[in-house]
Amino acid sequence: MGEEKALAGLRVLDLANNIAGSYCGKLFADFGADVIKVEPPKDGNPLRKRVPFYKDEKDKEKSGMFFYLNTNKKSITLDITKKEGADVFKKLVKDANLIIEDFEPGKMKELGLSYDDLKQINPDLVMISITWFGQDGPYKDYKATNFTAYGLGGAMYVMRPTKWPDIRPAVLGGYQAEYTAGLIGYITSMAALAMGKSAWIDLSVMEAVTSTLTGIMGDYAYLGFYRRTLPWAIHGFPTQENYPCKDGYVNLTPGIGGTQAIAELIGKPEEKDNPLLVKAGARVKEPEKFEALILPWLKEHTKWEITEKAQKLRLAFAPILSPGELFDDPQLKEREFFAKVNHPEMDEVTYAGAPAKLSETPWKEGRAPLLGEHTKEVLSQAGYSEDEINALKEKGIV
Amino acid sequence: MAYKILEGIRVVDLTTVYAGPMGTRMLADLGAEIIKIESPNRPDLFTRMTAYPDNEPPEKENWNAGGYFHFLNAGKLGISLDLSTEKGKEIFKKLVKISDIVMENFSPRVMDNLGLGYEELKKVKPDIIMVSMSGLGHYGPLRDYYMYMTGMEGMSGLTYITGHPEYPPLLSNYAYGDWMLGVTGTAAALTALYYRKKTGKGQYIDVAGREAIVVHIGDVIMDYTLNGRVKEREGNAHPEMAPHECYRCKGEDSWINIAIENEDQWKALCKLMGKEELKDDPRFSNMEARIKNRDELNKIIEEWTSQYDHIELMEILQKEGIPSGAVLTMKEVFLNPHLIQRGFFEVIDHGKDVGKRPIGKQMPAKFVGYESYVPSRAPKFAQHNEYVFCELLGISKDELKKLEEEKVIGTIPRFPPGRPTRLDLIQKQVGKGAGFVDPNYLEELRKAFGEDIGKK
Repeated sequence: MGEEKALAGLRVLDLANNIAGSYCGKLFADFGADVIKVEPPKDGNPLRKRVPFYKDEKDKEKSGMFFYLNTNKKSITLDITKKEGADVFKKLVKDANLIIEDFEPGKMKELGLSYDDLKQINPDLVMISITWFGQDGPYKDYKATNFTAYGLGGAMYVMRPTKWPDIRPAVLGGYQAEYTAGLIGYITSMAALAMGKSAWIDLSVMEAVTSTLTGIMGDYAYLGFYRRTLPWAIHGFPTQENYPCKDGYVNLTPGIGGTQAIAELIGKPEEKDNPLLVKAGARVKEPEKFEALILPWLKEHTKWEITEKAQKLRLAFAPILSPGELFDDPQLKEREFFAKVNHPEMDEVTYAGAPAKLSETPWKEGRAPLLGEHTKEVLSQAGYSEDEINALKEKGIV
Repeated sequence: MAYKILEGIRVVDLTTVYAGPMGTRMLADLGAEIIKIESPNRPDLFTRMTAYPDNEPPEKENWNAGGYFHFLNAGKLGISLDLSTEKGKEIFKKLVKISDIVMENFSPRVMDNLGLGYEELKKVKPDIIMVSMSGLGHYGPLRDYYMYMTGMEGMSGLTYITGHPEYPPLLSNYAYGDWMLGVTGTAAALTALYYRKKTGKGQYIDVAGREAIVVHIGDVIMDYTLNGRVKEREGNAHPEMAPHECYRCKGEDSWINIAIENEDQWKALCKLMGKEELKDDPRFSNMEARIKNRDELNKIIEEWTSQYDHIELMEILQKEGIPSGAVLTMKEVFLNPHLIQRGFFEVIDHGKDVGKRPIGKQMPAKFVGYESYVPSRAPKFAQHNEYVFCELLGISKDELKKLEEEKVIGTIPRFPPGRPTRLDLIQKQVGKGAGFVDPNYLEELRKAFGEDIGKK
């Protein structure tokens, strides 16, 4: 394994208030870029008010949400909504490669910080604007959250178990619409930076969601079909669904072992030619009979017992793991997936690590900054004297 | 003019099925040259035979008509090459020599077994970037587990926290896990590309789909590491917002999502519903109370929403600045005025047997000031053999013929007869219908994308 940082020397100004833009900035920071989180003075970034809090103490330095999305970044306080603050920002732009922002469309222009304004200061600049609906179009000024954008993007309608196709759809856990947009934002701006091209990138969270629907978009454009569950689970419902077992749930995707192998799994080899195991059509027609065959055995075994035996039979069964159970997973342990760092206000913090393992330039752990921790350092680098910085502080600009 | 950011970057694409092709499709949308390799013996079967136009497999070359394949592989070049033959390996190495990135999503043992692992490829092209995408990663005690999107999602923690408490945990139902794996591979490849441009060094990248998903619930995991609390599935409830629910609207299966972030939005909603008394009701007068009493609250709101069409109601709510989104069906996504005006769908001509179809962007970001780059149709099997083998690698046409005879390359894949999707079965499934078929879908699409959509 190498020890270099992939993105060393790259400077990013991160103005993001929401998850998508902050996650985009985090990816840059964790791969070694110098990412400066620009936060409003006093309260700081809005994510500092989001749960979960360390020991449930509502403190701006103790938000797990802020921590996770801002690892390895520096923090400065700067009120860019005031003329003097905007001028300081412009000075920072001179040495920056990328700006990440997520204000409502038009806001940066109003502040005199539009892409055109900033490009005059730095012609090589890349700027990415991540908004709910993009910079133009009929929904441009619509209000949204992760939840409403997920529904509008078309992902939510299919979020129902196959067995209950007309219940209330359920959103995918956490903030997947926003993380998705953050990842796409990283890819697009990374592409421009790697190729040394300047660009203003306009990314919409709604479109990010829709773009994840690849196959099921094809269903409509080619067949006129729109699903509300996962109906053709390739191997025939009810396989591929999640079923209860002794200590939780397992997923029953047969894979290359083929459904016949289930007979061996449940200790009834004599059933291997049972139409319920051999023919998808028979299963789909009478799912309750298939359930009656397999459920009693599942209920007597744990998810890992089932998975280990199934995998030996080349059945791609898998345990449904809770966030806590991830910490007992032998694979994640061996791959040292979780990162650990010290934080001045939260002691030792453990969190999810690298999205990918790069042999020469590994992902790096690091904590989130305290509010304004690097204001002095960053501003003096930009040529401000101590007196000037103090004067800005008194005026509430930093 | 279109802005092809990755113009000049060449990617050797060994990926098949869903996850890997999703990642390289994204690079294609950014303007890279993607050379997709398929074995004549093992073509990209599943997606090539899923979703035939109008559900009728063409009599000839049915492998060129699958809708899933078109969505996943637009903008790529396609060649055939059997990597299990010595000559196939030799040609493959020649191709690697003139390329920047190799991407693959075989099971972890395959590339090494073929003698085409990273160490071998590095000998041919020292600065090559190689990305391996698998379910659980290329090393570790479980690396050989058989994994699909279901297993990757299930083992990530995401499934556990998704769904209603009274129903089983819920998978994404649209291969989100696959998307995560492929797209994370792409993100890592571009990170390495930046580093290579700066230092001249290539590297090897190991992406585990499950890990790629876990990092997207990083905030949820923090509640466990900071407080020892395990998040359970709670449907659409939000820890900091109420109302925050998917409400039934008028019609058979019609829904709207509403999320109230603050007191101003709550007051505006009460006024719209004509129930101003609610804002002073102690059960609902502040966020904390509303979260506590959300079941009662949701009933009251649903009585109101169920009188409206979901899209009409979204417009009414948005006028008052209330975050809301109609839950769009896939049909409504294709006809959505916002997506259409923003150019999300690109009409791509697939020629005979398929015609023009709107294909969704896989890389939805726009470069302001430039037209969007419209990719070419997904490659027919072996469509670009001549360009890649003769023009790029300097193999003569006679030699090419010989390679065909020796079955190192092929123009016709081993492929089963086309089979229609059992839409009848799906509609009847579990008695209630797992989906709907819109018999007038082409007419609908023509209204939005032009009269010649779907004319074969």
